[in-house]
Amino acid sequence: MSRLGLGAALLAALAAAVVLGVRFGPVHLTTGEVLAALAGGGPEWQRQIVVELRLPRLLLGALVGGGLALAGATFQALLRNPLAEPYILGISGGASVGAVLVLALGLAGATSWALPLAALAGALLAIALVFRVATASGRNLDVRVLLLAGVVVAAFFSACVAFILSVSEARTVQGAVLWIMGSLAGASWASVGVTAGYTLPAAALLLTLARPLNLMAIGEETAHYLGADVEKVKRTALALAALLTAAGVAVAGVIGFVGLVVPHAIRLLVGSDHRALLPLSFLGGATFLVLSDIVAQLVLAPTQVPVGVITAFVGVPLFLVLLRRSLIP
Amino acid sequence: MTLGSRLRVALSALLLPWAVQACGPADGSADRPEDGAAPDTSAAATSTAGAVTLTDADGRRVHLARPAARVISLVPSATQILAALGAAGLVVARTDHDTVSWAQVLPSVGGGLQPSLEAVVAARPDLVVRFAGPQDTRTPAALDELGIPHVGIRPDRIADALDAVRLLGEATGRGAAADSLVRRLQAELDSVRAATAGLPPLRVAYVLGGDPPWVAGPGTYIQELLEIAGGENAFADLGSLYAAVSVEEFLARDIDLILTPAAGRLDARVTAGLRVVEVGDALEFPGPGVAEAARTVAALLRPGERR
Repeated sequence: MSRLGLGAALLAALAAAVVLGVRFGPVHLTTGEVLAALAGGGPEWQRQIVVELRLPRLLLGALVGGGLALAGATFQALLRNPLAEPYILGISGGASVGAVLVLALGLAGATSWALPLAALAGALLAIALVFRVATASGRNLDVRVLLLAGVVVAAFFSACVAFILSVSEARTVQGAVLWIMGSLAGASWASVGVTAGYTLPAAALLLTLARPLNLMAIGEETAHYLGADVEKVKRTALALAALLTAAGVAVAGVIGFVGLVVPHAIRLLVGSDHRALLPLSFLGGATFLVLSDIVAQLVLAPTQVPVGVITAFVGVPLFLVLLRRSLIP
Repeated sequence: MTLGSRLRVALSALLLPWAVQACGPADGSADRPEDGAAPDTSAAATSTAGAVTLTDADGRRVHLARPAARVISLVPSATQILAALGAAGLVVARTDHDTVSWAQVLPSVGGGLQPSLEAVVAARPDLVVRFAGPQDTRTPAALDELGIPHVGIRPDRIADALDAVRLLGEATGRGAAADSLVRRLQAELDSVRAATAGLPPLRVAYVLGGDPPWVAGPGTYIQELLEIAGGENAFADLGSLYAAVSVEEFLARDIDLILTPAAGRLDARVTAGLRVVEVGDALEFPGPGVAEAARTVAALLRPGERR
């Protein structure tokens, strides 16, 4: 498939998903009611549903999904590992420790920002720790060490979570499980603003690194001989991808499969030129998470299925089909 | 709020990422009582006829301009309390966990934790009753954003259940009915306590099931019921409300009998040589059924005796 063609298709799909998500939700509204609400008319409760629940949730889904897929594509290139995904460096583990601590200490009720801030702090702590270890040898950042340190730090943080939960009340455990499972239910215009404030600049900067990332994918030494500032690219790209992930985890918890499956799917469709792969991954991730969240809200409405369940249920078979097709000559 | 003003909120948050920290909690209904309370109390007294200020189980102060007339209860025991106060007619939506038959005709908002916010808004509640504490952090934050008043109730202990009765009574303008219900329940509990007072206490473990087995500890509604009904919690020394304990503990402790919601869920090594009594969900809703539950437990502990 041509890059432009896929780009146009994904953009159209994202637009269609947003229209779909504004039109349909767990509560039945007619097209006329939705349009009236968007124009600022109609009953107050319908305006709240459309303007304060559906729209911010769709935008947050697009930002988080796009950020996760872009981060996943970056990690896969830098770590040269197809299993790399946004949470591989312990970011989700660090965020979970932050969130669970806030819940266990009873601070979650103080302000609605306590939990996302703690999650963000935990994620940044995990990144800092892993980077420290990976650069301990000298000036060079060794990606193999980074990967190993990330896996080990993730294991340590998950042990921390298990320990905190084992000495916590049942309702703290319940709250932690709900938070960790990931959901866009906390979306508001304020959370959309904050997430956009992190995601959009980080994503734009990452897109400018597409060409050096192409060289890096061949090998660091080759990239160095071809004129790439390998160390700078590595550090910048990793930090940006980590920030994207941390911002997503802080507002929506841990949502799996988007960051792993979407970049691979895009790569299978258009190849691994990062100038196309990175923007298309962002668009693909945004579309995929928005659509998954619509399904998650509608399939058993009004009961909400965790969106991570839908991303796995839809993403895995889709990916397996793509994978199989790529093997058939 | 209009779409345009909401976009401005998002934009200002985007420009000043952490500035919203400062204004976030100010949106919360918890802070509202202070807003208009100080300036002129005389005006407040006349204009707020019928206004209610509540303090919920989280210690939040919640101000209602008038008693709630459209209530969504996310907590099954709160739904039962509302019915016992004659306020079933005020309930406008239910959760999937409400088992009482009268509520089944109402629209559902999904689960009691992280319900569908759209379904909540569509029911146009003027009060949402939710679980207090850290179980669900997203829902209270979202209700604050939407300007829907909410109160948390904590169904842990008998006193919490009675507090919930009073809170919901005040919230729905049924304070007198709530007070008389509380007095009746207390009198009934006292009579069960009196009937079992002279008997030697049986050592009871309440096992929820699981592997390792989860048991009820101190500070639970279950332990209080056991004590009223002439029992003694064999795990009264646990560090938390509920905890998983090893099978060894069961063998080492002096236990006369095991109470459990469903005996099928128990490890055979735990139950070996002990009397096991099934209670179903009788002890799971600390609400208006509390006195009935105490009588049930008393009868189960000593089936031979008449009260």
